[in-house]
Amino acid sequence: MGLFTRNTETAPCTVEVCHKFEELSAHVRLDNGAVIHPGDSVQVQGPPVMAPWDHHVVERRTAKITRASALERFWTRMTGDLEFMELCEFSFSEEATL
Amino acid sequence: MNAHAADATTVEEGLAIQQEKAKFDTKAATDLAMQNTLLTPRFYTTDFDELDAIDVSPVREDWDALLARMKADPNKGHFKKNEDWDAIDWEGMEPELKKEFLDFLISSCTAEFSGCVLYKEMKRRGTNKDICELFSYMSRDEARHAGFINDALREAGVAVNLGFLTKEKKYTFFRPKFIYYATYLSEKIGYARYITIYRHLEAHPEHRFHPIFKWFKEWCNDEFSHGEAFALLMRTDPKITQSFANKLWIRFFLTAVFSTMWIRDHARPRFHEALGVDIDWYDQEVFRKTSTIARQVFPVELDLDHPRWRRGLDAMDRAFRAMDRAKARGGPAGLAGRMMAGSRAALAFVSLYTIPVKKNDVPESVRLEPAY
Repeated sequence: MGLFTRNTETAPCTVEVCHKFEELSAHVRLDNGAVIHPGDSVQVQGPPVMAPWDHHVVERRTAKITRASALERFWTRMTGDLEFMELCEFSFSEEATL
Repeated sequence: MNAHAADATTVEEGLAIQQEKAKFDTKAATDLAMQNTLLTPRFYTTDFDELDAIDVSPVREDWDALLARMKADPNKGHFKKNEDWDAIDWEGMEPELKKEFLDFLISSCTAEFSGCVLYKEMKRRGTNKDICELFSYMSRDEARHAGFINDALREAGVAVNLGFLTKEKKYTFFRPKFIYYATYLSEKIGYARYITIYRHLEAHPEHRFHPIFKWFKEWCNDEFSHGEAFALLMRTDPKITQSFANKLWIRFFLTAVFSTMWIRDHARPRFHEALGVDIDWYDQEVFRKTSTIARQVFPVELDLDHPRWRRGLDAMDRAFRAMDRAKARGGPAGLAGRMMAGSRAALAFVSLYTIPVKKNDVPESVRLEPAY
């Protein structure tokens, strides 16, 4: 990991999408145990994983992980906290006027 | 189908073309009406070692009882549509109200969804048995809520698109204590918001313009118990709430969360009008309930009756509206307007933040039950 350089790597992953009345969820699991650090980006390769209504879809895909540079990781660690407002469920989008 | 009734040579032909066209238009209208809303949850990572190091022994008895109830899942049968789910005339709904109500449903769905992703991630990465168990139940509840809202959205002709998974996602970082403060407050404020609307509509059923509000009571009980779990987590280590710096953080969180809620609610006048709710009253009421509940764990409480409180909130609201106008204007004048509005918002925030807080001695026993 360089101070300024980003590396990319790929990892096999399992994508799970549940689109049912009882549950709406979507998760990506990296199957090789790769760990995501602050500032890293993950992109699942291939076409969008689409689960039609009332379906639970599990697909094996490849994920591209773009590792943040040391500086970016440090920056995300320092400033990420300030985005905490996103964790709050206010039931309205952030636009002050619609 | 490009034929036009005006091109027809006989009446019969003209009618046939019109009928064909009507069929086509209905289908096109249905396709169009099924708006595609891309859910855009955020992705977080945290200090998982710190999370794993939590020892719930100091609150073991309460913890086990709470987790046992979450495991038993008393709300499992609640999120089902039954005869109480009245038909809704979406077409006939006033457009402004429809816009605000859909915004409410979509944002709620996204919030539940993000919670589900976050909790599941924490469960997957953690090794601490207690913590993993908690997050698996919380993730389950959030996915269930999201599914329920999603169904209401489908009825309204809005399809959520889960295609975000194949978009590039950047992971941001929260320290565990920030997750505790933010999610604790978020769950408790969610409870206070839902129960206040539920009780209001119980007294004024004529304002219940959608059946989803009938489900708010049990729904908010889930929020309440999620909040309880975070309250217990914060009590495992006194430093999290009692150190000087952390008290300032808690104060900051309370101020930021309350004022954000104030701004967002005031931007949805039709929604609240349809519910027959006065926004000023509603928000203050939610703040009061949340503050009372939060005495279980926070050593400080905002002074909601201080003269600067309402003034500050209104100033904040005005600054954010000015910010929106400046953004819409664009160009150098817009930029100047944004800077101006930004500094006004910052000043208003400082004014709110510096209102002297009320001290609170947290009780020996943490656990609360929903009482409103």
